[in-house]
Amino acid sequence: MRKRLWPYLLALGPGLLAASAGNDAGGIATYASAGASYGYELLWALVLVSIFVYVVQEMSTRLGAVTGKGFSDLVRETFTLRQTTLILLTLLIANVGIIVSEFIGIAAASELFGVSRYIAVPLAAVFVWVLVTRGSYGWVERIFLVLSLVFFAYIGAAFLAKPNWGAVAVGTFQPHLRMDAGYFSLLIALIGTTISPYMQLYAQSSVVEKGVTVEDYRYTRFDVIVGTVFSGAVAVFILIATAATLFPKGIRVDTAAAAARALEPIAGHYSGVLFALGLLGASLLAAGVLPLATTYMLSEALGFERGVSRSWAEAPIFMGTFTGLIVLGAAIALIPGLPLIQVLVGVYVLNGLLLPVELFAILRLVNDPEIMGNQVNGKLYNLIAWGIALVVSALSLALIVMTVVGWFK
Amino acid sequence: MFFLTSIVDRPVEGKAGEPIGRIEDVIVRMGDDRYPPISGLVVRDRRRRFFVSSHLLQKLNGSARLSSSTVDLQPFARRAGEVLLRRDVLDHQLIDITGRRIVRVNDVQLTEIEGGYRVVGVDISPQALLRRLGPRALAGRVAGRQIVDWADVQYLASTAPVQLKVSYDRLAELHPVDLARIVDALSYRESAEIVAALDEETAAETLEEVSDERLADLLEGMDQERAADILEEMAPGAAADALEDLDEEVAEQLLARMEPEEAADVQALLEYDEDSAGRIMTTDFVRVLENTTVGEGLALIRSLEEVPDPLLAVYVVALEDPGTLRGLVRLRTLILSDPATPVTEVMDEDLPSVGPEDRAESAAHILAEYNLLAVPVLDEERHLLGIVTVDDALAVLLPEIWQRRGGRTFA
Repeated sequence: MRKRLWPYLLALGPGLLAASAGNDAGGIATYASAGASYGYELLWALVLVSIFVYVVQEMSTRLGAVTGKGFSDLVRETFTLRQTTLILLTLLIANVGIIVSEFIGIAAASELFGVSRYIAVPLAAVFVWVLVTRGSYGWVERIFLVLSLVFFAYIGAAFLAKPNWGAVAVGTFQPHLRMDAGYFSLLIALIGTTISPYMQLYAQSSVVEKGVTVEDYRYTRFDVIVGTVFSGAVAVFILIATAATLFPKGIRVDTAAAAARALEPIAGHYSGVLFALGLLGASLLAAGVLPLATTYMLSEALGFERGVSRSWAEAPIFMGTFTGLIVLGAAIALIPGLPLIQVLVGVYVLNGLLLPVELFAILRLVNDPEIMGNQVNGKLYNLIAWGIALVVSALSLALIVMTVVGWFK
Repeated sequence: MFFLTSIVDRPVEGKAGEPIGRIEDVIVRMGDDRYPPISGLVVRDRRRRFFVSSHLLQKLNGSARLSSSTVDLQPFARRAGEVLLRRDVLDHQLIDITGRRIVRVNDVQLTEIEGGYRVVGVDISPQALLRRLGPRALAGRVAGRQIVDWADVQYLASTAPVQLKVSYDRLAELHPVDLARIVDALSYRESAEIVAALDEETAAETLEEVSDERLADLLEGMDQERAADILEEMAPGAAADALEDLDEEVAEQLLARMEPEEAADVQALLEYDEDSAGRIMTTDFVRVLENTTVGEGLALIRSLEEVPDPLLAVYVVALEDPGTLRGLVRLRTLILSDPATPVTEVMDEDLPSVGPEDRAESAAHILAEYNLLAVPVLDEERHLLGIVTVDDALAVLLPEIWQRRGGRTFA
């Protein structure tokens, strides 16, 4: 028994980490907004989206295990150059958005501590840049990861807030669609934050790095399941906690402080500090990893000399892109008067809108027998996967239409 | 001289100029040729794809013209030894041997040599991408190419979905450190392909420089017999580090497959903690008895089957107990002294030493402080266990070099 269990436990990692990474600054803001603005109404969507996450992550990791290649590699080698450009461009835009959101998370956290963001954000940018280029990111990464575990406090907060469990059950199992743009954009933001493209890129590349093969892929699949359930649960409890505490009082999540208030049942006066610590950890974690991942993605696909240990002279484009992404992210987060939480949610709306491009690319790759051999999607699985891609596309389209119609009203 | 992207999707015409189809892909035979010859075209006519032999090719540049108006319409099927330039080479990765790096093929250069067409190089410039992205009419406006000669690149056989015989001879020209960098930057499967092509000695030297995680994956992934052979070739300290990162069961199997002598060396090092002087020390050194003369010492060195490298000094041990260190004679002294002199007369005594459990860093500091090239590692009874050389110590003092290599975890 022990022998059969071990490989599964050892495989835990990439999938778990990738899924947990979804619960970053933008994720918290989105779930908290959803709970505060619509009570338990969006719970069903969260459960459904978790299934989406599993399907997409599973396909990405399978691509990695079968081909031994990262996503951008496969895209470049399979699609035409113009299609490749389109796919990479949408990924770049989506990632830049998330980088901005991470720096906004840093800004919001520092303001909860009473430190001006004009000091905290540039400092954080320099800090992250130095850490990554000096190659000492590994252990710091673990500290950030531990800090971001603070968000598990939401699980306790959700129970202590004594939610109406009947309403929770109704919200979970009874799909409910409202025909207003606010509801729709939150719905898309939920999808965008839970299935962010970079998570797939990350999960696939770590499967490739670990050299997972088709034979031991089932362990990776287990990792993906655990990761999805884990991160889905955290998201659900954030929503329940905010729905139970903020929604009845009509408090909208416009600031980080409001999102922190949902932690009051468990942390009392310390809720602000606790929330700020978690936010800081999660944001710093992603603020270092994302620019690097994005730069690798572009350099690999375009064939530039790459690696953070290269000097400027050896790898000017690599170092320039990496630095540029951090500077850009920090600069946007410093625009005076930027409504932080709205921008966070907005970034994930954008992410959700761009997601179909990536989904169709994954589907095209994973169903190519020349790439996948007999590991292509099964018929039923493919139906579900296509269904997800189409639903996400339809929602994105609907939001665009509603927004455009809204302009003329 | 012309380029692949300028001919794909172009029309194929028969002898009299009648349309036959369009160029879907160009087939190349990989083999011993320095510049692989084109053996035919994949021609597309509506939904059909068929093979046209290069014997029928009259002209390829711009558009293809055949020497016949009739072609055999047998559907195209992939064959072993054949690579499609558009599918398997264009947009794929190659190793640029002279540039010591991985490059991506943005275009393929072809030329006509002695009546046949051959691949002569690849264009890796960003401009080539721009030319392909923009409308064809504008392509000529973008100047600039960066051609790597085909004889200077290493094609990876795993790139194409067919059986290929690829020569990996040129890899041997790369320094193991550069090879290691490439092995780290490639995906696991590609790196395994590279390592499989190296002889055991080069593989060992390369793997000593590869990041810990990749090394563990590679050793676990390869045939155990070969893994054991490579471990034997590695410095015992590096082999010990590698084995420690492996699954315990696999590590024991590998140790069991190694030559008993090498396995014992490695096992002895495994007794000590990582980052201890005992772990980084070399057990490969020359010892002479204290009644030896300088001449006999030199003769002994010459008679050795495998002389330690670097050879910095010989260690003088006690006659009654050959484990106990008396002193050392530097190689320089050994060469300059009269051959008849007893080694005890020219040896240095009272040298600083370290214990096997001491931190590796303190060994490095002693080397730096006393300006030594090597420091002996002694146990409590002054038994000589090994030596820590400057080379070993440098790896401890400059750990960031080793850490930085591992910077590719999130690609």
